Amino acid sequence: MSSKPILVIGGGPAGLEAVRGIADLGYQAILIEKADFLGGMPISADYAALTPDMRSPEEAMGEMIVAITDNPSIDIRLSTTVVGSKGDAPNMEVTVKNAGGEEILEVGSVIVATGFKHFDPGKETQMYGYYEFEDVITLVDAEKMLKADEFARPSTGEAPKTVCFIQCVGSRDRQIGNQWCSKVCCGIACKQAIEVKEAAPDARVFVFYIDMRTYGFWEDEIYWKAQEDYNVNFIRGIVTEVTKRGDTLVVKGEDTTMGRPMEVAMDVVILSVGMEPSDGTVEMADTFELPLEPHGYIETTGGALNTVETTVPGVFVVGAAAGPADLEDSVSMGGSAVMKACSFIRKSELQPA
Amino acid sequence: MSEHKYEKFVQKDNVVVDGVDLSGEWNKMYEPREILTYDIDGLEKLRELPGAKSINACYQCAQCIGVCPVDNVGSYGPRKIFRKLQTGMDFFDHDDLWLCTTCSNCLRVCPKEVDMIQIIPAAREQAVLNGNVPGEIQDMLQNVAEYGNPMGESARKRVGWLRKFEEPVRDLSKETDPEPVDVLWYVSDYFSYHNRGNDAAKATVRVFNRLGIDFGILGKEEKCDGDSQRLVGESGLFEELAEHNGIQFDKYEHNKLVVSDPHAYNAFKNFYPAVTGKEYNLQHYTQLLEERVDDLAKLMKRPFPKKVTFHDPCYLGRHNGEYNAPRTLLNAVPEIEYMEMYRNKEQAYCCGGGGGGMWLDGLMADNSAERLSENRVKEAVEVGAEILAVCCPYEVSRFEDAVKSTNNDGKLLVMDIIEILDYCMSEGEDTA
Repeated sequence: MSSKPILVIGGGPAGLEAVRGIADLGYQAILIEKADFLGGMPISADYAALTPDMRSPEEAMGEMIVAITDNPSIDIRLSTTVVGSKGDAPNMEVTVKNAGGEEILEVGSVIVATGFKHFDPGKETQMYGYYEFEDVITLVDAEKMLKADEFARPSTGEAPKTVCFIQCVGSRDRQIGNQWCSKVCCGIACKQAIEVKEAAPDARVFVFYIDMRTYGFWEDEIYWKAQEDYNVNFIRGIVTEVTKRGDTLVVKGEDTTMGRPMEVAMDVVILSVGMEPSDGTVEMADTFELPLEPHGYIETTGGALNTVETTVPGVFVVGAAAGPADLEDSVSMGGSAVMKACSFIRKSELQPA
Repeated sequence: MSEHKYEKFVQKDNVVVDGVDLSGEWNKMYEPREILTYDIDGLEKLRELPGAKSINACYQCAQCIGVCPVDNVGSYGPRKIFRKLQTGMDFFDHDDLWLCTTCSNCLRVCPKEVDMIQIIPAAREQAVLNGNVPGEIQDMLQNVAEYGNPMGESARKRVGWLRKFEEPVRDLSKETDPEPVDVLWYVSDYFSYHNRGNDAAKATVRVFNRLGIDFGILGKEEKCDGDSQRLVGESGLFEELAEHNGIQFDKYEHNKLVVSDPHAYNAFKNFYPAVTGKEYNLQHYTQLLEERVDDLAKLMKRPFPKKVTFHDPCYLGRHNGEYNAPRTLLNAVPEIEYMEMYRNKEQAYCCGGGGGGMWLDGLMADNSAERLSENRVKEAVEVGAEILAVCCPYEVSRFEDAVKSTNNDGKLLVMDIIEILDYCMSEGEDTA
């Protein structure tokens, strides 16, 4: 008798790793992906390079995709969404939908890997003018420009002379309702600062920050590298607002290590937007009746000691669906969930309810 | 003038200029507070200089500020230099360039290894090239260039202290075809020319002789070691001095080169080899005597029942890692009551004399609340010391001035360690 398959929802880094692991352990996996391609945010948002190792997202995600392709134990469904669920694990009936219609899948366990979305700086309380000023862009916009090898001042198409990053946009902000650090933006800003210096070597690049949070090896691999090898200027003190004087953007705030106010002209302002739970994450929480933790991500039960188990038996959550996560976090959680999902099924087979 | 746009940065209580009273409000000065541009031209220029690249690594943790002796009495500090450079300071034409005493305490604690010991001389070299040097330093450099010592005294007078001095001293420069010596003793500028230095020089001779050390000196052929000149940015002059002294060292066969001056120690050990192509078998006098501490202890018959503390010279301690030799000697002194200051060994406070500070009293006074030497003397008094022992020729005069200016005359005596040893080895009170 073969076991019921494990359903993985979301084909980003965490989901891909989960699917690979399930098959490696000899279980059946079904991967549901809303888009018509795999790879998740690094591919869909056109990331120029991954942090911190600057790897090409196509190459890195490609490696993960190859690992699950042409495997009889893996059923990949692109352009498909999950629309309903009935019953309890290990006897769940999950309804999926694609252009061909709906289908009910019998699955033994579910791993939710639906990820995050980038913060939309239109709903900030800070006055950064993202929807007003052409030259105010986000990390996501900058990734696209860098990927296309077209990093320029949007309003003129010319190479900028001054570029600044404003950290913590949409993160660590009670007024916005996002009381979390998004973990990756400091590292990504450093990575992009390096890429900007490579694209526009004459540009003076600044990063305005509250604390630089480049955890672990990101410290010297990205932060120190940006400062020491690429002469990026790190200024402590977050910009309060961006205004325009004539054709020039002016960032305004306090330079806290100097203890002085500052009002400095910038050609391009890049907002280091953080993470929020993706729409898919919220929908799956609803579909599987998974409670959200106070920040709005899917709740896990074990705190630091169990990062993937939800309050619903047999349903697991991995990656940024459970809270801000970098690639390492996401892939590690993917592996952890495989172990727990497979052992859940195995136990249920050994001791039928 | 609205308060928020400008910051009051100076207002002196009592100022009289040309007989006009400008006290209080009348001399209040403002500077704009707002940073309107991050002009990093100066930072870019500085980090391109040889040895100065590490300035770029500062991430403002401010650990340096906690240990910077100059920040302790003013508002100068390494991490502040970096930020001022990011906000448009012309470091090559700024008082800050000259306030660093190169004590190396910041480098000791800096997690990013920002090396002010290389950055400062590199930047000063530019200022020297631009002719932008404080007058006090300019005079000193001219003296050294012309006379071979910062005092501007003649080379002949370098052995003036030997006049009417009965003890045997071999001045190798006066001997024809001299026999080899075991120890070639580099006396240094302050031991040679300064009257309190002369006392220590004579004490050195007496101690060496009583221990039977076979030594000789270079006499009028000795010139300034050049280390402080190198550190104020005159690397050309340093190289000339290194070549000159290097030739003298080669001229007289010897086993060991022994110095009284930690600055000379630093120069000969770490910087002469690049110029002369030679490594030196070098010791500070405290290291030479430490090896003979048993003999020394036997010869020290006269007790010294005093409360003594010791000031670590930056260039013996932090720069060259020697903390034990001076302490071993002091602890061998009969009936001494030895005590440490709060800031000792690696954490020792700087006397203010290094890196050109010896000749920057005027500039320092304009930028600090008190001299570093005064701060240090107060610490010695606070721990209850009666004697402040030193082993760097810069320090006796600096600390004696500070004892007077802090009204501690009679409470604290400043002595070179060699003077204490000499005292304890001598017979009667008249030699003390």
